[in-house]
Amino acid sequence: MPEKERSPFGELWATFFGKSWPMWVGGIVLAVLNICLFLVKSPWGGSGSYVNWGQNLYSSLGILSIPGLHAVTAHHYGLLGLMTVLGAFAGALLSREFAIRIPPAGEMLKGFIGGSLMALGSTMGIGCTVGGFLSGWPSLSGGAIFLALGFGIGCFLALRYLLWEMENLPSMSMGKSFTLLAAKGTSGVWQPILGFIFLIGLFIWGTRFYRTDAVFTWFAVIGILLGLINQRSRFCVTRAFREPFMTGESEAPIAIFASLLVGLFGFTVIKYMGVGTATAGEARILAMTWVYPHFWLRALIGGIIFGLGMTVAGGCAVGTLWRTGEGQVKLWFSALGFLLIAPLSKKFIVPGFSSALPEWAQRKVFLPDSLGYWGAVLLFLVIILLWYLFVKWNERTGKFSAV
Amino acid sequence: MNADETLDCKGLSCPMPIMKLALTMKKLESGKILELLGTDPGSKDDVPKWCGKTGNEFLGMEEEGGVNRFYIKKT
Repeated sequence: MPEKERSPFGELWATFFGKSWPMWVGGIVLAVLNICLFLVKSPWGGSGSYVNWGQNLYSSLGILSIPGLHAVTAHHYGLLGLMTVLGAFAGALLSREFAIRIPPAGEMLKGFIGGSLMALGSTMGIGCTVGGFLSGWPSLSGGAIFLALGFGIGCFLALRYLLWEMENLPSMSMGKSFTLLAAKGTSGVWQPILGFIFLIGLFIWGTRFYRTDAVFTWFAVIGILLGLINQRSRFCVTRAFREPFMTGESEAPIAIFASLLVGLFGFTVIKYMGVGTATAGEARILAMTWVYPHFWLRALIGGIIFGLGMTVAGGCAVGTLWRTGEGQVKLWFSALGFLLIAPLSKKFIVPGFSSALPEWAQRKVFLPDSLGYWGAVLLFLVIILLWYLFVKWNERTGKFSAV
Repeated sequence: MNADETLDCKGLSCPMPIMKLALTMKKLESGKILELLGTDPGSKDDVPKWCGKTGNEFLGMEEEGGVNRFYIKKT
């Protein structure tokens, strides 16, 4: 079929919204935005948004009193997460991919359970796949390595469960499903039109509402872009961990490697140079950004629980945000589970869990302290290289792939 | 297009459509055509890619009323 000739703007539109971006392109752009966030205040993270949302919900219902609680739009990560959902909503509309997709009831239950597990894992292990891994590795944090190892173990186990479920409990993913508001044929043009207006409105809101606070303005603007680009590139950390054990494809892991490499470079420059700091004390605080007291067992335990959750839900903390904006109702339940459980876990489970663990299981390890900056960077480069070689070997041989 | 079997993945999100596709194709006889119904935008890329990787023949996709219909021939 001969293609209709497009105007220059039509071509531009087709490039951005006609089909999905290559995932590695998304990975690189998201890493650049992450570096920008770090320059503005602190790096990208997903779980903090749910904690803030949940705390606000419990507080407004009078169930929990949280001293010093900030409203969603007055909390950097509460705002960033909200804007990510709205940016993804705009991205889905612009590409005519928005629809409210209501899955069978069993899937909604899995979404809720997955989100709840992610809430437990991220609060117990301190960090999700984005804050603890995509930002954690570039932060040269030792605990972040064990967090990622935990994600891998949890993901592997949950994938076994999903395979078992399909053979033995097929009713979980079968039954009535509904798709509402999908763009149908030429009449679906309302989606890009609404998306365009919505996106402009979103940028105006972000920049005008926070005009007295530049940090909030940038968090709002970057949040919108994170959601938009996540949706367009379908960038998915869960997939990077899952795919080698599922189909064996290497696209998602490679996208994550690209993102890690760019992040590693940018974060190292910022930390090494102490960008924006005036004294040695400030430079040290900056260097310790996103380095948490979870080396190594604490991170591993939390990572495994989180890995189980993200695989059952079908999206990590950030993956849940952008798929929520796209209208995937299973992930609405994942978000609900996450925001309901995270504040409770933080208040009632984490203190006991932390005091039960010995000191050696939850240290704050900034790798350059023992390996030097170049040694630490080299360590991550070697791990990424070995991981890449494993992924490619497995893609060819299918040794670890289940389907 | 006439299919021998239909796999309903409407409303399901990643990774369920691909996992169901893989398991269903395992049981399908060689030469038969499977029709997959899906609403996850990710499937538009995932299904042809999965076919390419596994050597099954991707016959095409039709969009109808917000539902994507994928046709795959087992080789």
